[in-house]
Amino acid sequence: MTHSGSPVLESDLAKLIVHTLKLKVDPASIQPEAPLFGEGLGLDSIDALELALAISQTYGYQLKSSDPEIKSIFSSLRALANAVEKHRTK
Amino acid sequence: MHETPLIGPYRPDDVMAWGQGHTRTARQFLADVTALAELLPDRPTVLNLADSRYAFLVGFAAAILRGQLTLLPQRRAPEALRRLAGDYPGSYVLTDHDEGIEGIDVVPIQSNGGHAPWPKHLPLVPLNQVVAIAFTSGSTGHPVPNRKTWGALTAVAQATGARLGIKGGDRIGVVATVPHQHMFGLEASVMLPLMHGVALYAGRPLFPADIGSVLADVAGRWMLVTTPLHLRACVAERLHVPPRGLILSATAPLGKSLAQEAERMFQSAVHEIFGFAEAGSVAERRTIDGDRWTPLEGVRVIQDQRSCTVQAWYLPQLVPVPDRVTVEPGGAFFLYGREADQVNVAGHRVSLGDLNQTLLRIDGVQDGIFFLPDEEAGLVTRLMAFVVAPGKTSEEIQCALRAHLDPVFLPRPLVCVPSLPRNATGKLPREAVLELSRQWAGGDGHGV
Repeated sequence: MTHSGSPVLESDLAKLIVHTLKLKVDPASIQPEAPLFGEGLGLDSIDALELALAISQTYGYQLKSSDPEIKSIFSSLRALANAVEKHRTK
Repeated sequence: MHETPLIGPYRPDDVMAWGQGHTRTARQFLADVTALAELLPDRPTVLNLADSRYAFLVGFAAAILRGQLTLLPQRRAPEALRRLAGDYPGSYVLTDHDEGIEGIDVVPIQSNGGHAPWPKHLPLVPLNQVVAIAFTSGSTGHPVPNRKTWGALTAVAQATGARLGIKGGDRIGVVATVPHQHMFGLEASVMLPLMHGVALYAGRPLFPADIGSVLADVAGRWMLVTTPLHLRACVAERLHVPPRGLILSATAPLGKSLAQEAERMFQSAVHEIFGFAEAGSVAERRTIDGDRWTPLEGVRVIQDQRSCTVQAWYLPQLVPVPDRVTVEPGGAFFLYGREADQVNVAGHRVSLGDLNQTLLRIDGVQDGIFFLPDEEAGLVTRLMAFVVAPGKTSEEIQCALRAHLDPVFLPRPLVCVPSLPRNATGKLPREAVLELSRQWAGGDGHGV
């Protein structure tokens, strides 16, 4: 299932990722469907921890790795944006 | 020859491990170990890559009963594992998932549960049997082996538990965010519960919400084996957990203010372990009580004019301490940071010389240097690298590095430069590299 996603939230999240993880890339250059971990941006589990913290503080959504969908949530910017949209409390 | 039992004071039906879909009693554990030990090939060394802490322990114990050494690789990257297996011919892989290394035999770790008999006599292990080799990063670029005897692992487990007031058979559940293949994880999250007859959680929670829900489910008192990184994340999330647990942190220095916040939020004491792979856990402190470290029972830290070393009955020789230390007359000591070549990234110690050697082995790289900037805000300060590799992009070099290094050591950013500011003797003074990083931060680099 490919939601088109919310372009505004995707762009905000891209900025949050770049800022939180101090990446030297243009947030607009992150492809919404490209993988965030491993290949792609090459993020690791410490990034996941930092990112989860920033998402919780910004959107009030607490990620859990016991969530059966965790792999797909972190699979791309678009998937992450869809999950945040669904669970956000602020 | 002196021998001690493979397990601590468990009763047959005590829970030994829980989580990851199955709960196992001590009785079932012994049955799992015996069954696996019979299946293992006749080989000298084994790489135990199990994800589940329980499966790892089953594999570790089975290898011990067969007199085999478990290799504890410092890095999990495929090329690093392949090189290590090459250094120890005849190695095979034990695993509980699909991961394997090309060209190396794999034996799956199975756990059957069900009813199992309790043996008349517990298996015994000689104290001087070498059971594991922990690897550290050496400046020559080759991993340095540190042999661990059963006596060393059990002595550290006993001494740590005693210091924390844990008694054999206490109703405690140990939960750890650290990997069991690293020395601290092996000592505090595998050997400590095993030797005290208490339960261990098979999984490895990452996010604060995960840690919170696992701790809330512990039957009895919880003990969290973790790092400053995870504690900081938990404090930021204002986790709610049952009070009066026990926290043990290591792998990087824990700040006093973070320790205070963590004690308040968890309503639990926060203890810290100082240790390093060559010697294992050496000393403990309750962080809020001050900077002074007290050696574990049986351990002495000795200072003479030139060096500082650790002495213990289970260490075959004096082991140099990789940090700068001053020792008080009573034996307690203070730490003042690592020697220059050794750096710590998110709790993982590594030699910069080792990383530089890895970089220089990459095709097309003419010169290059890793560099750890001074600490800044955020959870983790990352390594940077400056690389001279005409015709290559930083993405290509990152990609090649990924096969050799764990993600935590990948430089961020990796900056391609025309040359490095080496001085007349070919050295790169830290000041020159700092200046390079300032110049780079000022302009708009091409790093990733």
